[in-house]
Amino acid sequence: MLERSFASVAMAAALVGSAVGIALVASPRVPPAEGVPAFARQYDLQCNACHTRPPRLNRFGEQFHMTGFQIPSAARPDGLLGSLKDDGPVKTLIDSLALRIEGGLFEYTESPRATETKLAPPDEITLFVARPLLPDLSIFVEIEGEPNAVAFEKGRCFTRGQVGLGKEAFFMLNLGGLLGALGAPTMEMGGQTMVGKHGGFSMHGPMLMAGKVDPSTNFSYATNRQLIAPTELEVEHGEVERLPVVPYAFTSKFFGLFKNRDAREPQLVTDQVMYNAPGAPGADFHAMINDVLLTQVGFLSENEGFNTYGALRLDLLDRRELTASVSAFFNWGFGVVRAPDPEDLEHPGGARLDRMRYGVAANVRWRELDVYGGVIWDRLYGLPGELGRAFDRTAAGLTFEVDYLAHEKVLLSGRFDQLWAGGLKEQKRDGSVLSLQVKFYPWQNVAFFVRDSVNLRGFVEDSPLRNWRNQFFIGIDWDF
Amino acid sequence: MQNGRWSLMAGAMAVLALALWGTNPPPTRANGDMHEEKGGHAHVPAPLEYADVHVPLSVWTDPMMIARGKEIYTVRCAVCHGDQGDGKGPAGLALPLKPPDFRDKDGVAEMRDNYWFWRVSEGGQVEPFKSKGSAMPPWKGELSVEDRWAVMAYQHTYSGHSGPHVPWEHPDSVAMGRDIYAMACIPCHGVAGKGDGSVGPMLAPRRAPQPRDFTGAQFKFRSTPSGQLPTSGDLFRTITEGVRSGGGPMTIGLRGHRIMPAFRHMPVEQRLEVLEYVKTFNRGFWDRVDVQTVTVPTPPAMTPERLARGKQLYADAECLACHGDRGRGDGPSAPTLKDNRELAIAAADLTQPQRFKNGDRPQDVYRTLMTGLSGTPMPSYADSLEPDQAWDLAYFVLSLSVSHGRQARTADR
Repeated sequence: MLERSFASVAMAAALVGSAVGIALVASPRVPPAEGVPAFARQYDLQCNACHTRPPRLNRFGEQFHMTGFQIPSAARPDGLLGSLKDDGPVKTLIDSLALRIEGGLFEYTESPRATETKLAPPDEITLFVARPLLPDLSIFVEIEGEPNAVAFEKGRCFTRGQVGLGKEAFFMLNLGGLLGALGAPTMEMGGQTMVGKHGGFSMHGPMLMAGKVDPSTNFSYATNRQLIAPTELEVEHGEVERLPVVPYAFTSKFFGLFKNRDAREPQLVTDQVMYNAPGAPGADFHAMINDVLLTQVGFLSENEGFNTYGALRLDLLDRRELTASVSAFFNWGFGVVRAPDPEDLEHPGGARLDRMRYGVAANVRWRELDVYGGVIWDRLYGLPGELGRAFDRTAAGLTFEVDYLAHEKVLLSGRFDQLWAGGLKEQKRDGSVLSLQVKFYPWQNVAFFVRDSVNLRGFVEDSPLRNWRNQFFIGIDWDF
Repeated sequence: MQNGRWSLMAGAMAVLALALWGTNPPPTRANGDMHEEKGGHAHVPAPLEYADVHVPLSVWTDPMMIARGKEIYTVRCAVCHGDQGDGKGPAGLALPLKPPDFRDKDGVAEMRDNYWFWRVSEGGQVEPFKSKGSAMPPWKGELSVEDRWAVMAYQHTYSGHSGPHVPWEHPDSVAMGRDIYAMACIPCHGVAGKGDGSVGPMLAPRRAPQPRDFTGAQFKFRSTPSGQLPTSGDLFRTITEGVRSGGGPMTIGLRGHRIMPAFRHMPVEQRLEVLEYVKTFNRGFWDRVDVQTVTVPTPPAMTPERLARGKQLYADAECLACHGDRGRGDGPSAPTLKDNRELAIAAADLTQPQRFKNGDRPQDVYRTLMTGLSGTPMPSYADSLEPDQAWDLAYFVLSLSVSHGRQARTADR
C-alpha cells in the first residue's frame, strides 16, 4: 500500500513538473492584459495590488477588506452617488458586478475499485455584487449557480441544479461613528471615522458585518481564499461515494453526526464549519487596534443551533520583505449538531450537542514565499450516555500550506491536510492528504491549474474519506 | 426556516445599527485630538508652496540666530505674544484669536517647522486663521527668510526644548501621517519606509518596479533635477495619482490600472499629512535649503515640423535603443536593462501612454525627459536638449500611441 502511495506521489510530481515547464515556456508569449475586473475596476488597480494571486489576499488586500472594500484612508466621500455622478450608471453598474467561473476541465481519480476519468466543464458560476455605498457602508453579495449541487432529503443524497445566494451576502458598516456618538473620541481618516486619537490608542471599526458572513478572511489562515480549491463531493445511488479534499483543520471532523432531525442530513466529516461554511447567517464585529491587533467576535447560525466565537490576530513585522501574523480563536457552538440515535446509528437521535472549538494559526510571508497553517481542536458536549463507549468526542485537524511565486505568472502550491477524526469509532478514519498544484495566470484574473492530491494513508474501500489513492485535476478559475 | 429566522435577526440588527448611526453622527476632526485647536490655533498642514521650506537644523540651536531672533521678537512680536512668550502681550489680550503660548511645549511640538514658517510669513491673511479673526500681520514682506528663521528659533526657546525642532525630535507632529501610513502604505513601503513591505515581491517577483525606498536618494517621479529629492508637490502628485503600470487583468471597462492606488479621495489635508510623514524617513529633505525645480513652459502648438524634428531626435538621442524604433519598449538594449537594485526593468511601451508612470500629458512627458527617472536607466536630457527640442521629442513620443498619433496625424494635415 505504501509503495502505491509513493508511486502516486511520484506521478503527481512528474505531472506538476511538466505543467511548470509548459507554463514557463508559454508565459512570455501571453499578451498583456486589456482590463481590470471587479473591485479592481472601481479603483483602477491591478488584481495583484490586493492579491498575492487571486483569490488569496496580501496585506494590503486584508486592509482593503477590513475597511469595507475601500482603499484604506481614501474612501470616496460621496460613495455610490459619487460614482454615479462621475462614471455614469452603466460604468457604475459594470464596476459593481463581477463574475467568477471555476471548475475542472479534466478529472482523474485513481482507485483500486473504480478508476475514473472524465471531462468536466467549469460549472460553478458566481455573480458578485460588491461596492461601497457610503464611506462607512458597503455591500457584498454572492449569487451562485451550481448545476451539480448535492442535496439531502430523508437521509438520501442526490445532485440537483441550484441557484441562490452564495456563501457570503452581507453588508459591512463602520460603527466608529456610532461609538463617537456614544462619547468615544473619534478622528476622521480618509472619509471614515476611527475611534481614538492620533499618536495614542486607535481603532479602525468596529466593523459590523451582518447577513451571510464568513469570518475567516480575518484569520491567519483564510480558508475562504484557498488557492487549492476543494474537490467536489461525489454521490452515487443516494449515498456519499467520496468526500472532498478540503483543509481538514477547518472541517467538522466527526463521523456519524447529523445536521438536523427532519431531513436526516448527515454532518459530513469534511463539511467546513464556521470558517468557509456554506452560507451562515449571523453578525461579525471586527476592529483593528493600533494597526497590529485585529479583534473579532460574532455569532453564526449553524444547523439547528448557533455559534459564538471570538478571535485575535496579531500582525508583526512588515519590514525586510517579511511579514507575519498569528491568530487564535475560540468558538462555542450551542446545539449545532445532532448525535445519532443510540438504537439506530443511521438516524439522528434526540440529543443536540454543543461543540467547543479552539485553534491557532500563523502566516509568514517572505519575498515570494507564503507559508500558513492552522491547528484546530474540537470537543463535543452533551453526548447521550449510551453512545459513550462507541463515540470519540474529541477530534483535531491540521492544515499547512506553502505557496511560492516561481514566476510572475506561475504560482506553485503544496498543502498538507491531517485529520485526527472523532465520532463513531466503527466509522471513523483519520486522513492525510498531500496536494500539489501549479497555477498559471496568463492574466491576473485568469488561472489555469494542474493539481494532484495524494492519499497518504492506506486505501479503505468502505470509507468515503479514503477510498481513493490519487486525484488529478486540470481546471480553470476566472474572475471577470 | 432556521435561515429565515437568522436572516430576520441580521436584518433587524442592520436596521437598528443604521438608525443609530444615522441619527447622530458625531462631529469629526480631521486631526483628531492630537491637533486639537489650542486657543483657536488649528495646526493644519502647511500648503504645498510652503511644504518644502524646512528650517536648517543648525538654526534652532545657533546662539547668533537666537540672539538675532530675540531682537526682532522684542520689537515686532512681544506686543502681542508677550515678553515671556506666553501669548499675553498687551495688544494680544483684546484679539479675537489669542496668540499662542510658546511655553506650551506640547503645543509647540505639534507645529512642524514649515507650518511655523508659513504662519510667520503669511500671518492671519490665510485660512483657516483669517476666518477666526487672526490679527497676525504677514511678515514675509518685512523680514528676510533668515530673519523669520531667527524669530522662530527664539520663540522655540520658550518651549524648553533644546534640540532642533524636527519631526524625529517631536514624533507627535506627524502622528496623523503616521497613522495613515500604517493603514495604507506599510504593506508595500514597510514600517521603516525602505520599500521592503511584504507586498512588493509579490507584485512583481524579482523585477522592477518595486515600492519606493524613501530612505534612499532615488526618487523616480520628480520635478527636481536628476539625483535630487522630489518636492513635496511631487510626492503629493504621486499620492494623488498613484502609479500606473503595464500588465494586469483581462476584462472590460478598462480605464487604466495602477500598481499603486490613487489616493485622490483622501482629503487634501490628510495627503499633506502623510507626505510630511514620508519625508521624515529621509533627513535629506531638511538638508536642502533652496529647492530647484525644472520649469515646464507652456506647451507649444504641435506641428508637423515639430514631429519631424522629434522623430530625428528620437533617433539621435538613442531612445530607440531601449524603446525600439516603433516605441514598443522592445529596443535591442531592453532585455538587459536593470534598475538601481539590479532588478530587471522593462523599457516603457511608448504606444501605451495610459501606462506612463509619470503622466501622459505633454508637460508630463517633457518633465520626464528633463528630469529622468532616478534609479532607472531613463536619463535626464536636461543637459543635452534645449526646451524646444524637448517639446519636439515629447510630442513625437506621444504620437507613437494610437490615440495621440491620431491627433498628430490631424495636425499633420
